[in-house]
Amino acid sequence: MLKSYKYTIIYFIGFSFLLLISATLLFEEKIGFSVKEVLDYYAGNESRFMMQKSALGLLKIILPHIFAFGLFTMVILHFLIFTQYKNTQKIIFLIYLVFITAILEMLSPFFTINGFEFFAYIKLASFFLFEALIVYISFLLFWSIIKD
Amino acid sequence: MKFTLIKDLNQDPMMKPILSGLLIFTFFYLIADIIIKHYNFGVLPSSISITLFGSEEEFIDPITKSSFLEIWHTDIFFIMMVLLSLSATFIRLTRNNKKNLLILNITLISSMLSLIALSLAFFVSSSFILLYSISLFTWHLLALYMAISSFWNLYNA
Repeated sequence: MLKSYKYTIIYFIGFSFLLLISATLLFEEKIGFSVKEVLDYYAGNESRFMMQKSALGLLKIILPHIFAFGLFTMVILHFLIFTQYKNTQKIIFLIYLVFITAILEMLSPFFTINGFEFFAYIKLASFFLFEALIVYISFLLFWSIIKD
Repeated sequence: MKFTLIKDLNQDPMMKPILSGLLIFTFFYLIADIIIKHYNFGVLPSSISITLFGSEEEFIDPITKSSFLEIWHTDIFFIMMVLLSLSATFIRLTRNNKKNLLILNITLISSMLSLIALSLAFFVSSSFILLYSISLFTWHLLALYMAISSFWNLYNA
């Protein structure tokens, strides 16, 4: 791999970390990290003067994220092709896991507003799992570049 | 990215117009980004300060934490995607020499610095506004150079 491509990937990893930090801060500011806060945000809470989110409202929120999640995940995962982990069972599993986690993160609020409170746990778990997976992929990429 | 695998991009009848389009759109994106930032957020320290912290004299409220984080989050995503595609094109179309490697590094470092400085300006100290403004102009100007230089090499190399 060209030296300049390696630099670009390292900077991309740096941007990815900034993206994760901003997403965490935004989640904490808008929703909160407890199951109760997730339920209140999506299903509403009269005592906190919070309205229940509508399906259309949720769709408006996730619309840019559908494209962004897909593009971001594809870009960071495709860098793994240039590493020694290419075509291993672990990476194939990782690819499926990242995309499934991203889908769960986006779709779980729709179940929450329809009375399935359990999906508040799924929302939180998938959010943190997605972030952890991106950190892990970044580590694999960084390690490959350093070792190369 | 398929174009990294094609040997002679300048001679490829398909990749040449595709990359031209990408570079033209990137060029206009960078110009439009500065214009929109100038009117909505501010690009000079004085106007950025008013947006972030408000102004009692002009009866302008400071930006909310939630709005700031939304702007910051969106900015990070767009900058990383624009600069990733531009860097890959620039690396492929220009000579792999020290000067170009330096330009690439300064562009990417200043863009990251602008994002970090913006968050520090909001959460830590307003003194980071100047750093944000300088790094914002630096990466925009260098990215414009990268787009023009890649375009030039696509037709003249």
